[in-house]
Amino acid sequence: MSEVVHAFLGRPDLKQVEIRLDNESREVLLELVKQFRSMLIDDSDQSLQRLYPPAYLKDSELNDEYDDLVHDDLLKEKLESIDVLETTIWLESIELEDFFAWMLVINSLRLILGTRLNVSEEDEFDFGQIHNPEQTLFIWLAVLLEEAVTASNFSLEDFNKT
Amino acid sequence: MGDFGEVVAHCSWIEMMSLSPIEIVEPAVGESSEVKHDQPWIVIVWNDPINLMSYVSFVLQKLFGYSKEKADKLMLEVHHQGRAVVSAGNRERAEFDVFRLHGHGLWATMEKDSSS
Repeated sequence: MSEVVHAFLGRPDLKQVEIRLDNESREVLLELVKQFRSMLIDDSDQSLQRLYPPAYLKDSELNDEYDDLVHDDLLKEKLESIDVLETTIWLESIELEDFFAWMLVINSLRLILGTRLNVSEEDEFDFGQIHNPEQTLFIWLAVLLEEAVTASNFSLEDFNKT
Repeated sequence: MGDFGEVVAHCSWIEMMSLSPIEIVEPAVGESSEVKHDQPWIVIVWNDPINLMSYVSFVLQKLFGYSKEKADKLMLEVHHQGRAVVSAGNRERAEFDVFRLHGHGLWATMEKDSSS
């Protein structure tokens, strides 16, 4: 029987997460975040709107104020998260706070891809039926994020105590 | 701007991976997530087809310090009813919570609490 190799492994004793991705996976992530940074800076791709949702559904004036207030901060957070992922991509284990940055980037990539693919509740992606490379990436990132949540679950006890 | 799809053009290994099934616990009818919202502004998380259920629950625990049980209840309320009130407070507090939720990729809005 083959052993399942997880992408990430939480180390509660060290407050770290082991990164068990192979080199090819890391290179894919690096290429994705490179493109993601360019997209964020260019700020013209329509799918980016999913990363800056409205705060007020019924008041466009308040929403414009909110957007003016937070857009740059949200952008800055994303760029900083990309920086963290890039600088830690080849490490065998990383600090929890840095791993949270990985999760934010992976989820942002899924949001963009899912928006582009017009993903709906009815969509059921299956590797055996996927032909579109973006769909393949979308599912792969879902696997990574699912494993990232599992690997970092140990951190939540500390959050719950505060 | 690049094409994300090109990145996987030669990555045959991705096809070897598979998604783990997500276990869904149906909430009892009429069950409440018990977020008290006797404050003037409420923060709502909306259902979206992209965010993973496990990730939504994780974010609610991480940002608000909710127990897993409470976060899962709220997440399921979002999933089955389309939305859930996840926090409440004055306008500044609500706006801060929305900002943090947006920072984590959740679709959140705020509005005055019509029930208070």
